[in-house]
Amino acid sequence: MLTKTKIIALASIGLTQFSGYVHADTRLNVVSAGGQNMVDYVKTYLAPKFEASHPGVKVNIVGTGPGDAGSHKILEKLSAQKNSGLENWDVDVAVVHQKIGGEMVTDGLLAKYRSDIKTGTLVTRDSAENALGVNVNGYVMPMFHSQTAIAYNSDFIKTPPKSYDELVKWTQDNPKAFGYNGIKNGMSGVSFVTGWIYAYGTEAATLSSTPYNKDIATSWDKAFSELKAFNKNITFTPGNAGTLDMLNRGEIFMGPVWVDMFYSWKDQGKIPPSMKLSLIAPGMPGQPMYYVTPAKAENAQLAREFIEMATSPDVQAEGIVKRFNWYPGIDAQHVQGNLDKATWAKLFAEITPSDLSQYGKSFPIAPYFDDIKEGYERKVSN
Amino acid sequence: MRSSTSYNLWLIAPAALMVGLFFLYPLFFSLYSAITTDEGGLTLAHLEKAFELYSNDILFTIIIVLASVVLLAILSISIAALITLSPFRSIVSLLGFIYRIPLFIPFIVTAQMMRTFLAKNGLMNNAFIASGMLTPLETVSFLGWSGIIIVFVWKQLAFCTLLITGAMAALDESQIRAARNLGASRLRILFQIMLPQITPTIGVAMILSTVTIMSVLSVPLMIGTGTPTMIATDMAFRINSYGDYHVANALGLVSYLICAGLAWFYLRQSLKDKGAI
Repeated sequence: MLTKTKIIALASIGLTQFSGYVHADTRLNVVSAGGQNMVDYVKTYLAPKFEASHPGVKVNIVGTGPGDAGSHKILEKLSAQKNSGLENWDVDVAVVHQKIGGEMVTDGLLAKYRSDIKTGTLVTRDSAENALGVNVNGYVMPMFHSQTAIAYNSDFIKTPPKSYDELVKWTQDNPKAFGYNGIKNGMSGVSFVTGWIYAYGTEAATLSSTPYNKDIATSWDKAFSELKAFNKNITFTPGNAGTLDMLNRGEIFMGPVWVDMFYSWKDQGKIPPSMKLSLIAPGMPGQPMYYVTPAKAENAQLAREFIEMATSPDVQAEGIVKRFNWYPGIDAQHVQGNLDKATWAKLFAEITPSDLSQYGKSFPIAPYFDDIKEGYERKVSN
Repeated sequence: MRSSTSYNLWLIAPAALMVGLFFLYPLFFSLYSAITTDEGGLTLAHLEKAFELYSNDILFTIIIVLASVVLLAILSISIAALITLSPFRSIVSLLGFIYRIPLFIPFIVTAQMMRTFLAKNGLMNNAFIASGMLTPLETVSFLGWSGIIIVFVWKQLAFCTLLITGAMAALDESQIRAARNLGASRLRILFQIMLPQITPTIGVAMILSTVTIMSVLSVPLMIGTGTPTMIATDMAFRINSYGDYHVANALGLVSYLICAGLAWFYLRQSLKDKGAI
């Protein structure tokens, strides 16, 4: 008798354990491109929040690395799963860059989900509909918007340049005091070069929209040769963080940076408070990161709920703006109400909303973008 | 007899499969991709593009590799010789411990360390300034080609010295003693008795270092600044930025050829030493 009770007791304990496993077995696979900070954002902020509201769901987060390369890995994985005819793809939510987001839509890898979620109506900006010439309306929700700008040390530079022309003049007066990272060591340099082409090659509006015209790139020779001359007066830095590092150590006094990185470093005291930002005319590019869900995601419904939570005004306010200093992905007016004045003012302190709308440009469409990078390799760095 | 041959074949099958699947197949695939179009036709366009855009970088890579290897040879032979021939045993055993430390530090950590050490306002220059040897205006940043060479030499030195010390220790002690008895100086023992016998090992150490140096991406990315840069950076850039595996593989082919060139030079040399040619 005693043994029987024991067995029953043991069995029931075993069963409870087992049922616990069964519950936690629903795994939502979130794959994120971008730097470690983006993986951390999902891991430390979004995942616990989502798991709390969805008992029995475990969020599994995987980072694929920074830059378009990281997004490209997700694209390769999904298209491999598509080509092999799998019924269920093991990515539920992906966070990808703008360019690759567009390619994924073209390749038919994504689900059109925006009308399924409540927050879908909170986005009206252009980048949620048009990803460098590809119509992505309905397939993407912007997670945040990032922007490049020129950082400078206000202790030494009282009147920062307001345009590329003034910047060129400034570097002639102050040789080697401006630094950027070329085009192979991170996107802030690529962004600076793109802005250069917008200023001296072809305007941003033409390059950011289809159709692609092959002849446009041939008219950039003068812009590139001027950039080559410009490069003689500057210092090259080793990467996005390298530019900030050198600004901090006083080795350069001005350089292009990502706004969110700049604010985070400033918050952590890694660059002095005298560093300020200026978004110069005719503009520098920025880009959104997109939340997408694959066409055959295993947990399609959960994925939609996850993205809905991640793009809700309070999460965008607390997580995106306050914790990570990114510009919100959904329209700013929906976020403003959830933030205290100080945080809001900080985000727009140095680059005003009007500067941002006037000089915050998109990256060019993919073929022009390749033309710019290859033109740089051919005519500037060669 | 026949059955034992087939047994032997079965024995090597797993290893051969591994080598074929994970080494030979990717190797030949990348070579193939370097000289074919997406449709499968033969083309030299990728190689032409690689040379058109990156000929400076290829030259830069060769110079960096050669400079690093020469410095490595000089330094590692000197340290190995000190360790083997020096009469001050206790200092030498300390040196024997210290030189091995870089073996256990990954390249990326070395690069990060050197980035803060070699920068214009980095640890090294600040130390010089604090000790009054330099003024802040005289400092120079070593981030760039010189920094890349410093990192490679610093990191590979341990490996090369280890190999060369080992080879020196394995030499027949009696020859060295005999030379010493006949009045040869330590320098003469090194150049006339030891070095001629260990050239194959030095060659191996240098070639392995070359291959390692060619393949490291983190160092040129973190220490190098812009252009020119090393081939590995260009390959990564082609893939990450354009998704262009063809030109990346063409650049890979160029690195194979550089390594193969050195290996050929070394093999020819060592065969000649053995009197085969």
